[in-house]
Amino acid sequence: MEKKVETICPYCGAGCHLNLVTRNGKIVRAEGAPGRTNEGQLCLKGLYGWEFLNDTKVLSPRLKKPLIRYSRSEPFHETSWEEAIRFASTRLMEIKKKYGPDAIMATGSARGPGNEANYVMQKLVRAVFGTNNIDHCARI
Amino acid sequence: MSNSIPEIEDSKLLFVFGYNAADSHPIVARRIVRAKEKGAQIITVDPRRTEAARISDLWLPITNGANMALVNACANVLIEEDLYNHDYVEKYTEGFESYRETVSRYSPEAVEHITGVKPELVRKAMRMYAAAPDAFILYGMGVTQFGQAVDVVKGLSGLALLTGNYGRPSVGIGPVRGQNNVQGTCDVGVLPNVFPGYQSVTDANVRAKFAKAWGVESLPDKVGYMLSAIPHLVKDGKLKAFYVFGEDPAQTDADLAGVREALQTLELVIVQDIFMNKTALFADVILPATAWGEHEGIYSSADRGFQHFRKAIEPKGDVKVDWEIFSLMANAMGYPMHYNNTKEIWDEMRELCPIYYGATYEKIDSQGGVQWPCPTLDHPGTPYLYKGNKFDRPNGKGLLFASEWRPPLEQVDGEYPLVLSTVREVGHYSCRTMTGNCPTLKTLADEPGYLQINSADAAKYGIEDEALLWISSRRGRVITRAQITDRANAGTVYMTYQWWIGACNELTLEHVDPISKTPEFKYCAVKIEPISDQLRAEQYLQEEYSKLRYRLSEPVH
Repeated sequence: MEKKVETICPYCGAGCHLNLVTRNGKIVRAEGAPGRTNEGQLCLKGLYGWEFLNDTKVLSPRLKKPLIRYSRSEPFHETSWEEAIRFASTRLMEIKKKYGPDAIMATGSARGPGNEANYVMQKLVRAVFGTNNIDHCARI
Repeated sequence: MSNSIPEIEDSKLLFVFGYNAADSHPIVARRIVRAKEKGAQIITVDPRRTEAARISDLWLPITNGANMALVNACANVLIEEDLYNHDYVEKYTEGFESYRETVSRYSPEAVEHITGVKPELVRKAMRMYAAAPDAFILYGMGVTQFGQAVDVVKGLSGLALLTGNYGRPSVGIGPVRGQNNVQGTCDVGVLPNVFPGYQSVTDANVRAKFAKAWGVESLPDKVGYMLSAIPHLVKDGKLKAFYVFGEDPAQTDADLAGVREALQTLELVIVQDIFMNKTALFADVILPATAWGEHEGIYSSADRGFQHFRKAIEPKGDVKVDWEIFSLMANAMGYPMHYNNTKEIWDEMRELCPIYYGATYEKIDSQGGVQWPCPTLDHPGTPYLYKGNKFDRPNGKGLLFASEWRPPLEQVDGEYPLVLSTVREVGHYSCRTMTGNCPTLKTLADEPGYLQINSADAAKYGIEDEALLWISSRRGRVITRAQITDRANAGTVYMTYQWWIGACNELTLEHVDPISKTPEFKYCAVKIEPISDQLRAEQYLQEEYSKLRYRLSEPVH
């Protein structure tokens, strides 16, 4: 049984509408949908750019567990979310206490996460870290 | 963009400046083709014979790094040949006299030695531009990725002001933004100087509004650092921790050796992403997130369109959505934060941003999208800006602003005789973690990527088509593959920036525009060297590719 979900392409800024067609919970193809900017058309990235979701490992593997290392000379090892968040937040608070909030910098992401995730990130940086050191690759 | 993507095809003249739509935005390129089919004239300014240049009525093959000189020459012609719209300039603009004074020194004849464009072509282009009933300027990274970029954008908007090409459909200026949500990331305040909705961090009333809504006593009033400054900030000891969310600066930023040194020096590097990437290799902790297709939210298209992207499949593995990870971090740092879904977040933001207030999820879904500004619940959104020719300045007038041309920083010399300009790959995207893992797209292009080189330069340096070669600058050396093409101009070579082995950013330099802080990705001095033992070179490439893939997969297993 195929299902269609209408969404927006995650590649360029044209903002094309497309349908992701799934069968048994897996994506089988993408097809153009009637969006304002694309009117049903897609480029090759729109048509085939979903394939990475199947974790093909063609270039690099998907991250599936939090990874941590307590020293840069160590290899990474898997950890729990509790430990990853504890470690990251404790280190950030130590650095903030020692050097001030402006010693911390963060990025947003102009790709998959979306506006809400970016809104929450800049809120975290401004309201919790206490700095305006937040930027993203608009200039890259 | 002042106007919308669909309006492109109904313009009477497209002035395409440093923008290769066929490779960077194929679906926008379709609109350019359709405009031509509907009878529009097309003028293209590009050093390469791009697809837009190929179908143009007029192609101005500019010398790399001469944008400001050419834009000033365009303004010079509009004024000195009296082609500009006197009534419009009088009513809706200011600054004309000093603008005229500056551009008076830039006649097409006087700057031909800089622009490389025959004066008659510039004059002809401006006569066409001024005569068109509706003219739309499209520009891209051929404008913005130079040490002098913001000045050129102001210069292009000046051409539209001089000719009254604002405030109605199918006119104006269109920076067709690169990444799918680079517009959105700006819209929601992921910038060091503004809160969401472009509200300044230096405005005390704005800070008080956000502080109250977010339940904190105060918010920082100092403009923050920009991303491109990181290597210097780290070297100066000012920056100690870096939280990298869905970016790969160790691949995409200029002067990668400098970026790697900074990442190594930092006391704490947190990476939150969907794939292992080059930056993650420097991390202390890596937080795995859901990808596009596995979560929902709103993206902003290049023409200010909020659109709803949706979840299609369940994520695999122990991953979380990005905003939930940020909430966990906030709570762990003593700030209570909890959201149930993206709509709750969106509604919190709408309440704080007058220009988005009317763009509800319901409206975005029922209309298929909403273009901001959308100030009220019954407002349909805004396809084009500056209606009634009122501009976003205190007195509502458009500012005519001219700047003197500045040459690119790193000039060619005997040792590094060629210019390198970095460009886009049609089948791959950005740092390539997503498209590089799509088998179909891999068949279109793969490592180490191509160096586009003019046949005269190829003959001069003994380079054969499809052969591997070395390219180096003062900052690094990488292997790449030759593509001999006369679409490229002699004296300049072009590399796409998607490649991890043939990584052109090992070569680029960190010289930035003083305002936008965008590096000069489009200009640095390089040299090329042929490789005699091609078989060994192909083996070396495969070995390097395997080693890199192993380094990236090893931490995950």
